[in-house]
Amino acid sequence: MKPTPKPGGAGQRFWDFFASVKLSFVLLLSLALASVLGTLLPQKEHVSVYVQQFGEAGARLILGLRLDDMYHAPWFLLLLALLAANLVICSLNRLPLTLKLMAKEPAEEIKRARPAQAGLTLAGTPADHLARAEAALRQAVGPVTQGQDGPTQVLYAEKGAWSRLGVYVVHLSVLVIMSGAVVGNLWGFAGFINLNQGSTTDHLDLDNGGQIPLGFALRLDQFTVEFHPDGMPKEYRSDITFLENGQEVDKVVLMVNHPAQRHGIDFYQASYGQSVTRLRANFIQDGQTQVVALAHGQWTDLPGGGKALLIEARPEVNMGGMYQGPVARVGYQPPQGEPMALTAFQAGAKIPMRGGPVSFEILELESTPYSGIQVKYDPGVWLIWVGCTLMVAGFVVAFYFAHRKVWLRLTPAGKGRCRIEIAGSTNKNRLGLTRLLERLSARLAAGVAQGE
Amino acid sequence: MEALSNNLLVAVTFAYLLASVGYLAGWVIKKAPVLGLAASVLTWAALIAHTAAIILRWLASYEIGADHAPFSNLFESLVFFGWTLALLYLIIELKTKLRPIGAFAMPLAFFAMLYALKLDPAIKPLLPALKSNWLIAHVITCFLGYAGFGVSAALSLMYLVTGKGQSPDDRRFLVLDELIYQTVVVGFILLTAGIVTGSIWANSAWGTYWSWDPKETWSLITWLVYAALLHSRYMRGWQGARVAVFSLVGFVCVLFTYFGVNLLLSGLHSYAR
Repeated sequence: MKPTPKPGGAGQRFWDFFASVKLSFVLLLSLALASVLGTLLPQKEHVSVYVQQFGEAGARLILGLRLDDMYHAPWFLLLLALLAANLVICSLNRLPLTLKLMAKEPAEEIKRARPAQAGLTLAGTPADHLARAEAALRQAVGPVTQGQDGPTQVLYAEKGAWSRLGVYVVHLSVLVIMSGAVVGNLWGFAGFINLNQGSTTDHLDLDNGGQIPLGFALRLDQFTVEFHPDGMPKEYRSDITFLENGQEVDKVVLMVNHPAQRHGIDFYQASYGQSVTRLRANFIQDGQTQVVALAHGQWTDLPGGGKALLIEARPEVNMGGMYQGPVARVGYQPPQGEPMALTAFQAGAKIPMRGGPVSFEILELESTPYSGIQVKYDPGVWLIWVGCTLMVAGFVVAFYFAHRKVWLRLTPAGKGRCRIEIAGSTNKNRLGLTRLLERLSARLAAGVAQGE
Repeated sequence: MEALSNNLLVAVTFAYLLASVGYLAGWVIKKAPVLGLAASVLTWAALIAHTAAIILRWLASYEIGADHAPFSNLFESLVFFGWTLALLYLIIELKTKLRPIGAFAMPLAFFAMLYALKLDPAIKPLLPALKSNWLIAHVITCFLGYAGFGVSAALSLMYLVTGKGQSPDDRRFLVLDELIYQTVVVGFILLTAGIVTGSIWANSAWGTYWSWDPKETWSLITWLVYAALLHSRYMRGWQGARVAVFSLVGFVCVLFTYFGVNLLLSGLHSYAR
């Protein structure tokens, strides 16, 4: 029985709508069209980018429809959810019938031969030819069921009934892949670690903001880039040590295409660069100059009270005709009062200074290589691979295997002759069935020629 | 070895052009079927030379220390695309004996090769991102898939050009209709395999199996369009000319995935420029 509501009602119409191929067709094309839009509009950019490109009104529309992160917009996810619902309902709708077709007893088929597609008349009675016809059919199709339809001897065989399930495997695979993505989104995380050579970290910055602890630590022992003779990069390599409770527990090498894993968390070589770690600067206070060394992100006590740290620095900034050289942002905490951020330029540079009681001048920037490491934990990824495998296997079954049925009807044709009619049916690839029947016909004819 | 490979590719390109003309002439000039036969012989010879050129280039890459299969940039992919198109066409010719299809399919192989000849054929070492065993599986599945869609588009064009005023029940058109469908199926399964191998690779290179990069997204768009085409078979009125037009639209998506994304959109696949 179909699990459908009573016919005719609104429920039935709703069910039929969700079970229809038309809906699948429209949804597939809608998803395609929406995806085109997503590749034309810049994604995940700052509001200002949209305002600049599309104006105030355009930007408001884009942000309102969440087109700036379209593939995660509620309406896009709704389209995907509708497709999933369509798949489920359409499959539930058809599966009972398919199972019934698969489970059909061969005996039931004996008297239901399709119209003959080929035929031949041979000398001898049906009984004379029965054994040979049975052998030919068994070889061409499979186990043969024999029956009687009036004066006619009927031989019936079928194969590939299981292939009717191929399409359900494909539909299931789409759902498995979708569920893998959902699992990854709900229980997984993705983030980034920028690690200076020689440094250790035990947490990561999440892509969508915030920090979480790893539960263990990793140290970048060395970062190296190898180049080809023509200057193209050959290999990026991070030598990493994992630490647990301060103890070294494992050493791994990260390269592009060679990630490492620890406790289910994957680490990928993603980027690299030089990061400024220390700033040697002139500290100028009330006309007095002293040389200080400031560390990145760590407060250093200054002579005469107060503290300072290096917030960030760039080795080369070009500010048109005004200034060209290194620039650093320094955080300064006076002995009393609020902390402030100051900008420092190369010592001796002619910059129109805003007068302040305190300033810094860059003497030297010390830098060290860093490695950008992508971090991922995705408990749903195995579902993706299971889904992909099911999908490809399902396609092969759905497209290249058919449920074929073949009937041979042997009827006395008078004057000691026998008429053999060949009929067949298939759920796909009619051309293939026709070829099969032709081969079978040729075999039956040839067998007789040999026998006589 | 590299020079020999490049010279062979020039010869192959001209052979594909000649074969295209031969197939066309053999089809239009009904009294000279020998032209079609000559085109077949030429295409087979060219495919063998084409195969040799690709193998030579592969060997040359190891000889000069670049050490990779010839599937790493636009030049190499175009050469391989031309090869897959010629191969798939010849398989269909063997199975159906319908040489006029060559007049529509072989120009595609020719244009792919012609485009390749305009590019720099130098063998370069691989970027770190491309150093993966998945490169070969990914490129072979994708381009065999593209070839399936390409031949399907050629068949569709043939259907539309020759189909005017003909009964859609004509046996020849039923065969064409079936072939359009079969080649789309081949392309669809291989494109799926190509997307899957690409995902597995991306998962180990970039840490995510899917990142909505424009190339990924366009391959998905192509997949969705062909998925819709395959479902259209189960709707009333979607046979013949409509499916032929659909298959052409699908191939435009393929071409955009292949060329348009690299030329017009930025993303992770920029080395294929």
